[in-house]
Amino acid sequence: MKLNLSIMVSALLAALMLSTNVVAADEAEYKAALTKAQDTLSDAEGKVQLWSTSEILLNDAEEAATAGDFELAVKLATEARLQGELAVATAEREKNTWQNSVPK
Amino acid sequence: MKRFLIACFLFVVMTNVYATPEQDRLALREFFTQRFPDLDLNEMINGLYAFDEGAREQWLEMEDFPPYEIAIEEGEEAFDTPFANGKAYADCFENGGIGIKQNYPRFDVDSGEIITLEWAINQCRTDNGEEPLPWRTGELAAISAYMAYTSRGNRMSVVIPDDPRALEAYESGKEYYYTRRGQLEFACENCHMQSAGSLLRADRLSGMLGQATHWPVYRSKWGETGTLHKRFMECNIQVRAKPYEPQSQVYRELEFFLSYMSNGMDMNGPASRR
Repeated sequence: MKLNLSIMVSALLAALMLSTNVVAADEAEYKAALTKAQDTLSDAEGKVQLWSTSEILLNDAEEAATAGDFELAVKLATEARLQGELAVATAEREKNTWQNSVPK
Repeated sequence: MKRFLIACFLFVVMTNVYATPEQDRLALREFFTQRFPDLDLNEMINGLYAFDEGAREQWLEMEDFPPYEIAIEEGEEAFDTPFANGKAYADCFENGGIGIKQNYPRFDVDSGEIITLEWAINQCRTDNGEEPLPWRTGELAAISAYMAYTSRGNRMSVVIPDDPRALEAYESGKEYYYTRRGQLEFACENCHMQSAGSLLRADRLSGMLGQATHWPVYRSKWGETGTLHKRFMECNIQVRAKPYEPQSQVYRELEFFLSYMSNGMDMNGPASRR
C-alpha cells in the first residue's frame, strides 16, 4: 500500500511538472509576442498618437524576460500590443466624432 | 438646373460643416459667454486665476516679485549679445524683435511651415552660424520670455493667409484640440472647455480662451520657465498619450489654432502658474 502511494505521488508530481512545462511560456513565445507588439506599435505610430504606457510595458517585458520570467514577459508584451490596437481604435472612432465637440 | 441644385446643396453642406476660423473664434467666445455669463472674457488670459478668487489673490501677491523676472533679464542679455558674425537677434525680426510676439505663430507661404516664435529664434541662430538651442527651457525660453515681455498689452493678431496649406494647418490643429487620445481618452477640450473652471483634484482648470497669450510660463511645479510646447508634452503625458517632440508639426499646428482662438486678447507673457 505504501509503495502504491509513493508511485501515485510520483506520477502526480511528474504529471504536474509536465503540465507546467506545457503551459509556461518560453523564450520563443516571448520573442513572438514581442515582435507582434513592436510591429503593431510601429505601424500605429505612423498613423496615430500612441499611449505613453506602451513603451514602458515593452521595457518591463524585456526585464521580465531577462530575469527568466517568460510568462510575465509574454503577458506584458501582449498588453503593449493591445494598447497599440486600442490607440488606433480610438483614433478611428474620433475621426468621425471630434467635430461634435466644436461649438457652432 | 440639376447642376445648380447640386451646387446649392454642396454650398449649404460645406458652409454648415466647415466653419471659417473666424466663425470658430466667435463661436468659442459665445460658448464661454454662455458658460460664464458674469466673467469678462479677457480675464481668461490669466488662466485659472480668472475663476478662483483665493488663488488669484495669492498669485497677484506673487506678481510683486514674479519668478519669471530672472528669465526676462537673462533673455534680454542673450537677445542683445551679438553672434560670432557680429549680427544679432534683432536683425532677424521685424521691428528689431520688439513687441512682435502677438503675430506668432505665423504661416510662411514660401516654405509652407508654421513659424512659432521659438522656431524663428532658433532659425535666426542657425541662419547666423550658431547652434540651435534646446526647445523647452533654458536660454531659448528666456529669449522668448523677454520678447513676450516687450509685447505685453498688444493684442493677439495671428493671421491665416489665403493659402489652402495654411487653412489645412489650422484645421489640423483644431482637430487635434477636439480629439480624444491617450489611455485616459481625454481631448484638450475635455479639460479646457467642458471642465474649465472646475477642480481636477486640487487644481482648477484654465479655459481655452487666452491659453496662448501668456507664454513662456514659470510653473512652480517645474521650478523654471518653460515654453508652450513643454506644456503640450506635459498635457499629453497627463492623459497618458506619448508626447510628440517640441516644435513638431503637430504641436505647431496646435499652437497655430490655439493662438488664433485668442486673437484680440491682450498679450500678457511671461506669466507664472502653479
